[in-house]
Amino acid sequence: MTPLFLASTEVWLDQLVNGLTTGSIYALIALGYTMVYGVLQLINFAHGEVFMLGSFAGYGTLVALGGNDLSGGMVAVALILAFLAAGGASLGTAVAVERVAYRPLRNAPRLAPLISAIGVSVLLSHLVDDGFLNGGAKFYPQIFPDGDIELGPLQVTYLQLFLMGSSLAMMGVLYWIVQQTKTGRAIRAVAESRDNAALMGVNVNRTIVVTFALGAVLAGFAGVLYGLFFSSIRGSMGFLPGVKAFTAAVLGGIGSIPGAVVGGYFLGLTETVGRELLNEIPGVNLPNQWKDVIAFALLVLVLIFRPTGIFGQKESKRA
Amino acid sequence: MPSPAARWKDARAASWDRLPSAARPLAWLILSLVVLFIPFFDDVWMRMFFLVALYVTLGIGLNVVVGLAGLLDLGFVAFFALGAYLVAIFDSPVSPAVNGTVNYWVLLPAAVGVGALFGVLLGLPVLPLRGDYLAIVTLGFGEIVRILLLNMDNITRGSSGLYELEKPAVAGYRVDAVSEFYVMIVIAAFVAWFATARLRDSRVGRAWEAIREDEDVAAAMGINTVKYKLMAFATGASIGALGGAINAPFIDFVAPQSFTLQVSINVLALVIIGGMGSTQGVIAGALILVGVPEVLQFEETANLLEKLGWLRDGMNTAIDGLNGLSPMNLAKLPPADEWGEKLALYRFIVFGALLVAIMIVRPTGLFPSRRREMEFAQTSDAELPAGGTV
Repeated sequence: MTPLFLASTEVWLDQLVNGLTTGSIYALIALGYTMVYGVLQLINFAHGEVFMLGSFAGYGTLVALGGNDLSGGMVAVALILAFLAAGGASLGTAVAVERVAYRPLRNAPRLAPLISAIGVSVLLSHLVDDGFLNGGAKFYPQIFPDGDIELGPLQVTYLQLFLMGSSLAMMGVLYWIVQQTKTGRAIRAVAESRDNAALMGVNVNRTIVVTFALGAVLAGFAGVLYGLFFSSIRGSMGFLPGVKAFTAAVLGGIGSIPGAVVGGYFLGLTETVGRELLNEIPGVNLPNQWKDVIAFALLVLVLIFRPTGIFGQKESKRA
Repeated sequence: MPSPAARWKDARAASWDRLPSAARPLAWLILSLVVLFIPFFDDVWMRMFFLVALYVTLGIGLNVVVGLAGLLDLGFVAFFALGAYLVAIFDSPVSPAVNGTVNYWVLLPAAVGVGALFGVLLGLPVLPLRGDYLAIVTLGFGEIVRILLLNMDNITRGSSGLYELEKPAVAGYRVDAVSEFYVMIVIAAFVAWFATARLRDSRVGRAWEAIREDEDVAAAMGINTVKYKLMAFATGASIGALGGAINAPFIDFVAPQSFTLQVSINVLALVIIGGMGSTQGVIAGALILVGVPEVLQFEETANLLEKLGWLRDGMNTAIDGLNGLSPMNLAKLPPADEWGEKLALYRFIVFGALLVAIMIVRPTGLFPSRRREMEFAQTSDAELPAGGTV
């Protein structure tokens, strides 16, 4: 029997795992976009840089605690501290950015906050690249134990498993906060209607800050996971994951939390498995960069044929 | 019917009369200064002026799309790249796809035409999108074009780029000096300005502004929104391609790494910072966002800053005094001869900070057109559309 595909089963399964891994990172970042968009109808262009600064804070913590020399139980301790530092740094950045660059423009013409957001994004990425790194990159210490786990036919490294598992856990916590706590109810109320929420006694300004903060903490966590997985980090690292995470948020239906998660995994899988599928066409051998083309083409297609995304309910045309 | 000449005179007068009376002599003054003072500047300065005038041209093009028709486009660099590559592919000896060269003056109008065509082609799929969504999709288009250019080795030579372009010739004289290219781009900027100003004051411009204000109402009033939106994309794109076609023989190295998102951001930012819809705004925006970061790199700037050593000494004395008052340990300023180097290095940081600062101080831009200013005064929180549900 001739095989159905040119690539072997292992290649497909590898791509599946890769897709789920990058998809986890996209999903974590996408949650920040979708929540901020939900309450402010603003594309937080600086969210990629919030993610980047979280990654650097995590890197700083890991290196300060011993870097490549860490071993055994200390790795776990160092990782927890790195996550805390990253979450804290991202949270601080996002709250400061909201206060300085977005809040004064809340009732300004619609393009003003967008330009301000782009300004913050350029400022922060170049501050790190030109101000501190002189255009170079930093490399995360390789502290994760090597080794694979066999899950049936799937081969997954410890790092990949940790990455997928911890992102799922963080998303679960966020979902609980938004659905079950009083703060979460306030966020949902402000997203529904800012004016009505204010009339019902919700502190709108505080809720908006909390929304930024929650999204930022997840982005900071994602920054550490990105660093652990891809190793090299730099000031401009936030741009591409940022745009793709926004794509994921739109795919899922902007404003929807389950949508952002599903969109993130969907985008991760489409990029990796999609490129492999295209390579199945005889004579086609696409370089890795084509996964970006696939991601953007997917965004265009979704917006044209289903602008509300997978989970979106409301008309998003007027976005 | 008045004669065409008389109609042109009326049209010119109509545009001219829109300027405040004080601005008219000022406009002539600036125009003559722009050309008369060329001999005073060396190539480094002329390069900066060329860049500013190039961005003014691009800004005028994007202004049609964003300022007049209200379509937020973050992928404008695609058309700039298109114009540059069209010229480079036919005029570079290393071009793998084409042998020999084609006259530049054939390629220039071709670039404008192909730009318009691609404006329509890229505009078609995004017709139903508005606002931020349109921004992110056009951003995606810009990135796709860049990645395609990078990967189409057999036409574009990928990241190795195309170079040694045939210089444009006027009656046997080859345009080569920086100042000659500068004159070319200034003429292009004037053509673009005149064309868009005429369009703005015509039925087409009124249709664009109606679509910008409210697309549904515009459609209800009988405006063919599809046609006019595509026209806006085509006009903007053709001016973008024009800029690219003039820039290509000037920089003489056309490669994908010159056509990044940063270009789109620069153009959009200078349009909005200048105040959408106004040409003097575009010029001011280009001077601030393109001119200032360039000047910060100049040796003259560094020399000038060195002369400010006394200022640094004074400041440091003051900082010493403050540190004496309380143990704050404020850092002293670095030696003045390092300031220029530092400023050149930090120019993008300055750029980002400028964007935020100008938006906060003047959310409508530096020179908002009067109509837009009034419109923004009425925008309130209640008019914002509701978001999705979380």
